Amino acid sequence: MSRQTGYLIKIAVVGIIAIAGIAFLTTVSNIVKMVIISALLAYILDPLANFLESRGMSRTSATVAIFAVFFIFTGISYMVFLPLLSGEIQALQSGLNPAKAGLIIDRLEDFMVANIPFLGGKDLNLLTRLENSMAKTGEWIFDHFLDTASVITSMILIPFIIFFLMKDGREFKKAFVSIMPNQYFEFTLYLLYKLNAQIGNYLRGQFIDATIIGVLSVGALWFIGVKYFFIIGTFAGLANLIPYFGPIAGATIAIIVSILQTGSFQMALYVIIAFTLIKLFDDILIQPIVVARTVHMHPLVVLLSVLIGGKLFGILGMLLSVPIVGFMKVVARESIHNYRRYREV
Amino acid sequence: MNKLWENIFKPRQNKKDEIDDILMKIPVFQDLKPHALKKIKCILHQREYKTNEIIFSQGDVGLGMYIIERGSVEIVCDPERHILAELQDGDFFGELALLDDSPRSASAITKTPCRMLCFFKPELLDLLDRDPKLGSRILFKLAWTIGERLKTTNQQVKELSCSTYSTKPIQ
Repeated sequence: MSRQTGYLIKIAVVGIIAIAGIAFLTTVSNIVKMVIISALLAYILDPLANFLESRGMSRTSATVAIFAVFFIFTGISYMVFLPLLSGEIQALQSGLNPAKAGLIIDRLEDFMVANIPFLGGKDLNLLTRLENSMAKTGEWIFDHFLDTASVITSMILIPFIIFFLMKDGREFKKAFVSIMPNQYFEFTLYLLYKLNAQIGNYLRGQFIDATIIGVLSVGALWFIGVKYFFIIGTFAGLANLIPYFGPIAGATIAIIVSILQTGSFQMALYVIIAFTLIKLFDDILIQPIVVARTVHMHPLVVLLSVLIGGKLFGILGMLLSVPIVGFMKVVARESIHNYRRYREV
Repeated sequence: MNKLWENIFKPRQNKKDEIDDILMKIPVFQDLKPHALKKIKCILHQREYKTNEIIFSQGDVGLGMYIIERGSVEIVCDPERHILAELQDGDFFGELALLDDSPRSASAITKTPCRMLCFFKPELLDLLDRDPKLGSRILFKLAWTIGERLKTTNQQVKELSCSTYSTKPIQ
């Protein structure tokens, strides 16, 4: 067998293994999503476990302590917020149809048909469309987050995976590095080190930022008197994890709900002011302090990454697009840098 | 039955003792208590190399130090492959990379099949985070080791310059 044939066979084998791997991961995509979410949470909580370790606790005790606090907090949140949350989602599912909202949307529709010529005087059915989309959103949230089977599976599996990732994460990393050939071993470790420094800070910063924005949004919407303030505020916080699109999506939902609730634009104006102030507060105060060291990417790259991530993998793709592109950037930059230096030597 | 148990556990125990013995001879890990040594062993990477295998090349990104558990390694300077040192079991090299980000100043190539213990910067930084007392102790020992090497180098430079001046003809 010639050297070239052997090389081609090697490439073919690697290709087949890669395709089989991707097919397998697609089949178990729900489990993969769960593992990704768990890994992210474990990664975010890692400094906390390190801090407890520095106070003299063993890794296992530190992980158990974090879990104990987490379960107590979740238990209290479950008792306090779940009835409120499920009530709000059920109301969203059943749709909204106050007379005032109907009137204002009809007026808006008439205005659009009369003034925007390319619509050609068609009946837009804005109210029905809005109601349908809101009912669909409610159903989607219920199906994805509050469906009993998926909640039970996630509530058991995610903490279970997080626990072991936190407790034995170092061993997993060591085992991963140990399978690397000697030639790439140190460079792999170097890449992981650089990635941890850049993307770790970004992820932890974004997580803290989303929590602060979520709390501020819930508070502001409650103060203004918007219905479903808890679910919209929480959504706004979570959506903030997605650059550019997130804050707009959170504000848009709050504006629509406020219009449908009161039938006037006054509350919507307050919502716009509140979200603008929160965004300003985020950009001026929270982002510079919390998300201090980011992945340093051009806004256009961030925008395209989010769009592509969303198209390929949905919301999870949008959430992870920036750190993944950041990861690719670090790998490419360090590899090229290393290759150039190698050539110079 | 007892023999079976002995066979299962004995080699592993011996291997652990071997690593302990090697680490205790390295100035950076000297005088550490057993529980601290156990923590260090947990973060070390163990690698096997064949004869004439490159461990790292001059100009590579350096991330940490290598301890020879078994075998022989040559430290060579490119491009002429001038041999700077030949290291044996229990010796260590590359410790400067634990402190700075500059590229490797020489290449390390195995002369015989080798088993190495590797101690890297990310693990040292992580240790400083988790156990600041042990981490700073290691950093102190590392500084001491590098200081000792600097003293030796100074001595060698002094001797070299003295011999150069003494052989220089008076003009």
